[in-house]
Amino acid sequence: MKELHFRNYFKNYLFDLEDFITVYDGHLHVFNYEKLIKLNEKEIILKMHSKEIIIDGNNLKIKQMTNQELLILGSILKVEFKYE
Amino acid sequence: MNKLIWVKFYNSNYYQLMLRLNNIGITIYDNKKDKDDIFVKINKDDYEKIQKYLISYKKEISGLSGILKINWLIKKYLIFIIAIFFSTILLLFCNNLVFKIEIKNNNNNIQKLIKKELKKHNLTILKLKKSHKEIERIVNIILDNNKDTLEWLEIKYDGLVMIVNVTEKTIIKENTNYPYCHIIASSDAKILSLNLYRGVSLKEVNDYVIKGDIILSGDITYNEEVKNRVCASGEVYGEVWYKVKVEVPYKEEKIKYTGKNRYNFNIKFNDDTYNVFKSRIKNHKDQEINLYKLNDFEINLVKEKEYIIDAKMLTEEEAYNKALKLAIDNVQLKLDKDEAILVKKVLKKEVNDSTIYLEVFIITKENIGTVQIVEEEEIDGRKLNQ
Repeated sequence: MKELHFRNYFKNYLFDLEDFITVYDGHLHVFNYEKLIKLNEKEIILKMHSKEIIIDGNNLKIKQMTNQELLILGSILKVEFKYE
Repeated sequence: MNKLIWVKFYNSNYYQLMLRLNNIGITIYDNKKDKDDIFVKINKDDYEKIQKYLISYKKEISGLSGILKINWLIKKYLIFIIAIFFSTILLLFCNNLVFKIEIKNNNNNIQKLIKKELKKHNLTILKLKKSHKEIERIVNIILDNNKDTLEWLEIKYDGLVMIVNVTEKTIIKENTNYPYCHIIASSDAKILSLNLYRGVSLKEVNDYVIKGDIILSGDITYNEEVKNRVCASGEVYGEVWYKVKVEVPYKEEKIKYTGKNRYNFNIKFNDDTYNVFKSRIKNHKDQEINLYKLNDFEINLVKEKEYIIDAKMLTEEEAYNKALKLAIDNVQLKLDKDEAILVKKVLKKEVNDSTIYLEVFIITKENIGTVQIVEEEEIDGRKLNQ
C-alpha cells in the first residue's frame, strides 16, 4: 500500500532548504549533515556541505541520531561555522 | 511500524560509541547512561549490523518496546490472560443464570400453577435469563391461559434471583350466594334512590339513616312473623355529608430541574451506599442504572439531575382556590364512577400571615348500601338446621 507522507511533504514545503540548524532550549537540531567528525562532552564537529560546524558547550550528548538528522542535548555555548 | 529494542553496551565510552554507531549508519531513537553501561534504543533490524561491525563491544538486548514489548508481554502472561478472559466469560455467564425462583404469593395452588407454567416456558433454575421482551411475551401467554385464576403477573430479575409477583383473581361472590343477608347503611345519610331486587325494604326515599341501619332486610315477614330468610339485594344511593378541614401555606415550593446533569458511580453493599466520586452538584435528584449486581453487592451508574427550589408566594385568592381544590379532591378520591359531589360550601375561612385554613362542607351522592352477612349461628342464637 502506498503511504502518504503528509508530514514530510509539509515539512519540506516549509523548510525548503538544503540544510539547517535549529537551536532551542537546551537542544540543537541539525538537518542534513554529512558526517559527524568529532564528538565529546565539550565539542561536536559536523561536516555539512560546504562548511564545518563546531558546537561548543558543556555536557553535550546525542539524544537522537539518523543518517540525516541529529538532535544534540546539553548546554550549548557557541555554534561556529567554518566555510571552506 | 518500527520494531524498537533497547541494546545494553557494557563498560563503554559514550562518545566513542556514538561515533561508531554514526559511522555504521545506525539510527538512534533514544539513549541513556547507567554508570558505565550505555543503553541505546534502535531498530531491531539494525542490531544485526551492530553485531557485525561492533564486535569488540560487549552487548545484549536488554529490553523491548512498542509491538515487540506487547508481543513479549502477551507471551509471558499468556496463561494469566487466558485465565482472566475465561473467568470474565464465566462470571458473565453465571451472572446471566437464574439460581433461585421466588414466587411472591401465599396460595399453594397459585405457586404450583406458576411453577408449572414457568417450567413449560423453560423458566427454571440454572437456565439463562430471558430478555425483557421474551419475559413480557411469556407473561402475556400465562395470563391468557389462566384468565380465571390470575389477575396480574410480573417476572423480574434481581441479581441471580427471578422474582415472580403474582396476584390471583378475586372472585367477588354475588351476595345471592349467601343464604341470609341484609343491606345496611355504610354511613350516615339521607336516602336519594332505592332499587330493591330481593328482600324487604325497611326505609324509603328521603329517610335519614345512620351507619349500620338495615335498609333492605333479608327477612320475608307476614303478619310480623318471619316466613323466609333470603339474601337481600338492591342499590341504595344517599346523600352523605363531609366536613373537610384543609390548610395551605402561602409559600409554594416547586422543584425545577435546570437541565444540568452529571454522572457518577455508586457502590451498594449491605444497604450502605458509597459514591465513587464526590458530587459536583449541590441539589440533585438521582437516577440509577444498574451495571452489575451480585447478591447484596451492586454497582450503579448514577445520573445526577440538578434542581433548584422555585419558591413562590401565593396570593390569598390563589391559596383559597388551592385549599378548596384540595378539599374537593380529598372527597373525590373516595367516589366511584357513578357517585358525585352534589354541594360544596365553605363554612369557615381563617387567614394568618403564612397559612390559609378552610373548613368545607361537601355533600355527595354515594352508594351507601353494604351487604351484612348473617351467619347461621347468629339467627335467634341457634342454627337453622337444628
